[in-house]
Amino acid sequence: MLIGIDVGGTFTDGVLFDGKAVTAVVKQPTNNLDLKNTLLQVLDELLAEVDNQAIHRIVLSTTLVTNMLATGNVEKTALLLLPGPGLPLDTYRLFDHTYFLKGSIDFKGRKTEAIDRKEIEQAVLQIDALDIRKIAVIGKFSNRNSELETEVRQIVLNMFPHMDVSIGSETAGQLNFLRRIVTTYYSVMTQSAWDSFIMEIENALQAREITAEVAVLKADGGTMPLNLSRNKPCETVFSGPAASTMGAVALVMKPRNTVVLDIGGTTSDISLLIEGHPLYASKGARIGGHYTHINAFSVCSLPLGGDSSIIINNDEIIVASSRQGSAACFGGDYPTVTDVFNHKYMLGIGQQSQSSAILCKLIAGTDLDIDNLCTRVEMIVLERLQAAIETMLREWENEPAYRVWEVVNGRKFDVQEIIGIGAASSAIVPHLAQRMQVEYTIPVHAAVANALGACVARPTLSLKVHIDTQSGYYVIDQEGKRGSIPAGKNMQMQDARVLAQQHLAEIAKVRGMDEYSGEAEFYLEEQFNVIRGWNTAGKIFDVGIQISPGFIKEYQGVSR
Amino acid sequence: MKQTALIFFPAFDWAISPTHPEREERLLYTRDQIFEEGIMDLPQIREYKPRMASYKDIARVHFCVPDIDAQITEAHLVSAGSALVIADAVMTGEVANGFALVRPPGHHAMTVAHGNRGFCNINNEAIMVEYLRKQYGLQKIAIIDTDVHHGDGTQEIFWHDPDILFISFHQDGRTLYPGTGFVEELGGPLAHGTTINIPLPPRTTDVGIHYVLDNLVLPILDEFEPELVVNSAGQDNHYSDPLANMCFSAQGYAVLNSKLAPDIAVLEGGYSVETALPYVNMGIIMAMAGIDYSNLREPDYSPAQFQESPRNMEYIKQLVDTQLANFRGRAAVIKANRLKYPEDYTYYKKIFYDTDGIHEEQSTQLHMCESCAGYRIIKSTAQHRKLNRVLCISVPTYGCPSCQEKAQRIYTEKCKEARNFDYIYLQDRANDVYKCTDTAFSSQTVL
Repeated sequence: MLIGIDVGGTFTDGVLFDGKAVTAVVKQPTNNLDLKNTLLQVLDELLAEVDNQAIHRIVLSTTLVTNMLATGNVEKTALLLLPGPGLPLDTYRLFDHTYFLKGSIDFKGRKTEAIDRKEIEQAVLQIDALDIRKIAVIGKFSNRNSELETEVRQIVLNMFPHMDVSIGSETAGQLNFLRRIVTTYYSVMTQSAWDSFIMEIENALQAREITAEVAVLKADGGTMPLNLSRNKPCETVFSGPAASTMGAVALVMKPRNTVVLDIGGTTSDISLLIEGHPLYASKGARIGGHYTHINAFSVCSLPLGGDSSIIINNDEIIVASSRQGSAACFGGDYPTVTDVFNHKYMLGIGQQSQSSAILCKLIAGTDLDIDNLCTRVEMIVLERLQAAIETMLREWENEPAYRVWEVVNGRKFDVQEIIGIGAASSAIVPHLAQRMQVEYTIPVHAAVANALGACVARPTLSLKVHIDTQSGYYVIDQEGKRGSIPAGKNMQMQDARVLAQQHLAEIAKVRGMDEYSGEAEFYLEEQFNVIRGWNTAGKIFDVGIQISPGFIKEYQGVSR
Repeated sequence: MKQTALIFFPAFDWAISPTHPEREERLLYTRDQIFEEGIMDLPQIREYKPRMASYKDIARVHFCVPDIDAQITEAHLVSAGSALVIADAVMTGEVANGFALVRPPGHHAMTVAHGNRGFCNINNEAIMVEYLRKQYGLQKIAIIDTDVHHGDGTQEIFWHDPDILFISFHQDGRTLYPGTGFVEELGGPLAHGTTINIPLPPRTTDVGIHYVLDNLVLPILDEFEPELVVNSAGQDNHYSDPLANMCFSAQGYAVLNSKLAPDIAVLEGGYSVETALPYVNMGIIMAMAGIDYSNLREPDYSPAQFQESPRNMEYIKQLVDTQLANFRGRAAVIKANRLKYPEDYTYYKKIFYDTDGIHEEQSTQLHMCESCAGYRIIKSTAQHRKLNRVLCISVPTYGCPSCQEKAQRIYTEKCKEARNFDYIYLQDRANDVYKCTDTAFSSQTVL
């Protein structure tokens, strides 16, 4: 038996899945002040249906870290940055308690300026005086050479052994110093809270005598063992939309170009599947207005849902972006988008007559008749959704390209299908699909697709190896791994692939996901001859390999 | 605040040959630098996707022998197309300005294209300029060629065009490829003074180049009043460039772009792939986007490293005075030329394609029109694969009805005769129609 729980902003959803069928579903309002208890309540309700020993996998998706970052309820953290030459320092002064230090590395990983011990010590004394115990050290090009970051960390720890110091190269090894700063900073400041959350969950499970494998869902739609997620709290941000998207994929499982539309009460989340594979945000997850190195699905959120209220203002019909309560057909006091579709298409949602009644009340005293009102509201809703979808498609088609073949072959996203999930999708999606002249599916369990998506998602892992045979080293963009290449070694692309594969397998083993190593695919293969004078002085390879989002092996679809 | 458009197109899957300076590695470290800085994440920058230029865009500028397919690869179409994307972004007002950081380059490619010269097959800036005229009706455009090599291709393409101001500063042609770009090269008889060359001695520094900018380039731009300024942005004036001998720095480039404030910059040469390009490209992007570049420097740079010699400064000052006078006196010279050559003006030249080892012989007959820049007839012969004898008839973009009509008539007549030439071309820019007749088969293609 598997359990998936998605703690969302408004509701927490849980499913119990026996490998073929969903055997129990729970939906509860989320108490944002006590996410752990909300989660455990949902868990206990599910456990009531089954023997605890029969559970062999639990996957959690939670907004804990997202909430912490949004509310600023985090630990004070100082930044020691080694920006070297380039953009003005102010570009990198994104947060309070930022200190700039000497010392720089260039793109080849060469040290071009040494650090200044005095300067570091002074900064650290100031940080200590502010009672800050968390420090993030991040250098430009530290992903190519982490020597300076490591030296700075050592100096800090020598002075104050109790301080908690993280370095950028171990947290975010991809190119982009700005995003490395943001990612490391957010990781450091949420780590302790995430750590206690993990402990509480582990204790709670132990108390319930559950020995199942426990994992958390990441923003990239893959899972990670709960106990190994300690250093990577930020990877759990935006796991909610990822859960929904994975749920849609799990429920439909067709290799088509698909729009996944998750229409909830207050918002609609749109994501795209390219031949069945979820599309990633090209610049990483965006948190607090900053880009990060966190892999996340590309999701467009619209402030438009089934509970969006309908207002008439000077004869103008407005679909408000706010929610004033549930739909009239469910006993709410205000006319909503759901009521309009319910009345117009006689959907029989809740008490359909209440939908009609509240709409009649709304037009009383205006020149509008109810049919006009419904037609107009439907048009506004569908137009807004379609415009957002089309913007997303165009943005994907117009993403920058760096190779000739990418430009020559172009990109075109022809929508073949819309998958509607979330409570309000069954009312709206059929009409949107008709308007866009594409097929649609509202899968069974669409209302808890998120929780189902979480419970059957498999672990993911993505890494890039950068090999520079001229300089005699390689670096992996995960966990700060690096190694040397014997001087004069003549490497071919095949050797580079093997190296990447070995490292993937190694990390996969540590993360308890060896069984998926064989399914890793190369997503990037670049090779450059390094020519000095007219002779080949070496080669540079960039090879990317990943275990992409998918489903655990036992998952073969949902029968009912 | 309006953004700066950027297309970064390193063509990581294209090279002239594996060890050629124009190879995949050329913009690799620039990629590393601009991606690591995170400059594309800044609100000041808007990154665009390249597109492919159309054959018609190319035919508006070039006579490709025997046809366009023979002279280009897909990479050339993408590189030229990227400049067009930037042009669109600037002209529609989506952005304040834009930089096409692209390869392959183009500024050595001339009107008639038999092969690759100086790493160039087709001329990205010229294709963009004619596109701007056709698409947006622009007339007066200035191209400032800041590559260390003389922009002989761009110069040749606009040699007879008084509405295109072409200014090139470069290392003296006596010491560097392509061996042209001397003070006396001032433009055709009807476009005298709108080609300005500034040959600089080897080892000229930031100081010398900025003197030229402040005292010659900027004053001329003020007087010419172009609707658009293009920087043909080579980066090989840099002190570390392996193919040239100048002493310009990344700071120098950034200051140059701040002062010049081009609407559009298009990358040209620059082959110091590690020690110059990452920093110079950053400098250009930052300057165009109005980002403070005082923290930008090459790791090995020290301001005191290069000193401009007094003798050199003396020479530069004289050069500036001479060229300013040439520019300001252009109307009188054109008037005199009309009297001197009342009907036609004909000249001969030989062109060497260094990359492909092709020798071309060419004669040009310019019609000295009273009311437009005049149509041209170019006869050109070169051996590549086989002997190619071609006749090219070109009508200027703003050519008068009489020149259009005459050019069309000559094309028709010559195609009927079908003697002496393997291919006959008509480039009717006024009507945006481009024809080619293969005389062996009497077949015509029209774009």
